[in-house]
Amino acid sequence: METNHKEAFNNRIVFSEKTYQNIISILTELRTRLNAKITIFADMNGYPIGYDETVPAIDITSLTALAAGTFSATSEMAKMVQEQDKFRFIYLEGKENNIYMCNVSKDYLIIVLFDKSVAMGMVRILTHNTVEKLSKILDELSMENQQASKYIDIEFKSMLNKELDKFFGID
Amino acid sequence: MYIDQNRQEIQFKIVYYGPGLGGKTTNLEYIHANIDPSIRGELVSLKTKDERTLYFDFMQLELGQIKNKKPRFHLYTIPGQLHYSFSRKIILRGTDAVVFVADSQPLRMDDNLDTLLDLEQKLIDQGASLDSFPWVMQYNKRDLANSMSIDEMQSKLNFLNVPYHQAIATKGNGVFETLKTAIQLVIEKM
Repeated sequence: METNHKEAFNNRIVFSEKTYQNIISILTELRTRLNAKITIFADMNGYPIGYDETVPAIDITSLTALAAGTFSATSEMAKMVQEQDKFRFIYLEGKENNIYMCNVSKDYLIIVLFDKSVAMGMVRILTHNTVEKLSKILDELSMENQQASKYIDIEFKSMLNKELDKFFGID
Repeated sequence: MYIDQNRQEIQFKIVYYGPGLGGKTTNLEYIHANIDPSIRGELVSLKTKDERTLYFDFMQLELGQIKNKKPRFHLYTIPGQLHYSFSRKIILRGTDAVVFVADSQPLRMDDNLDTLLDLEQKLIDQGASLDSFPWVMQYNKRDLANSMSIDEMQSKLNFLNVPYHQAIATKGNGVFETLKTAIQLVIEKM
C-alpha cells in the first residue's frame, strides 16, 4: 500500500494524444450504449482525465474531486472490515439520476451518470467491459515521468508569474 | 500533477493544511469572492451542521493560455480537526504543494505544531517529507491583539525556513501572495 502511495506522489502523469483519444472513444461508446448522461475517466487524486457528456452544465472537475474522495473513503472502509481488496464499485440511486462509480486498476476510476430508465444490470455489464478496455490501455502505458519538464521552461515560468500578478492583483 | 497533451492542460493540486478554525476555508472563500469569476470554478464545500469543514473544500483556477498551455490549479482544504485524520490523508494524495495556515494566537501554538507534525507524518507515509516538499507557511489572524510575534512563530514553526507570509484571511491580506508563492514553488520544483 505504501508503495502505491509513493507512486501516486512521485509520478508526473502524462497521457499522449493517441492514448487520450483512445480513452475518449471508449467513454463515448459506453455513454452511447447506455444512453448515459456522462461517462468520466479520472484518477484517484481527483483529476478528470477524459469524459463524454450530454449535459454540459455539470461541473466535471468538482464532480470528479468528490467521486475520488468518496472512493478513497470506501477503500478505507474496506480495510476496516478486513476486506482484502478495495470495494469495486459504488452505486448512488436518486429519484431521477443514478451514479455508478467503479475502480480501474488501483489508481483510476470511471464514473457513469445515467437516468432511471437504464437497467442497473446493463450498466454493470457494459461498465465492466469498459474497465477491461481501459485497464489494457493502462497496462500498455509507460509513465513518462520526466516529460513534465519539457512543458515548463523559463519563459513559461516568467509568463505564468505575470498572469498570476494580473489575476491576483499583486503589484 | 497531470498533463493532458491533447488539450494542452497542466493540472496542479495545492492543499491548504493547518489546525481547525485556523482560516484555511477563509483563504479559499476570499479567493473565490475576489478573483475574476471567468477563471475560477465553483467553491464546493462539504461542511458539518456547525459549518466546520467535514471532508474538504475544493475550487479550480484556470489561468488561460500560457505558451499554448493551459495551467489549472485545483485548490483543496483539509478538515483541521485531528479526528478527521483519514480525510487529510486521502486529500493529500497526489498533492504538488501545501499551504500551511498557522493560527497566530498563543493558545493555538500547540495545535499548529501538532498539525505540522501530522502533515510531516502523512508526507512520510506517502514517500515525501517536509524537508524536500514544496510548501509555504502562512501566519494568519495577524489582526488579533494577542497574536504572537512573527519571530516567535518563525522559531517555533518554520524550522525548515520555508517562504512565509503574514495574513488576515478575512480581509484578504496575504491570501493571494501566499497562493502565488505556492504556485511558484511547484513550478520551480519541476
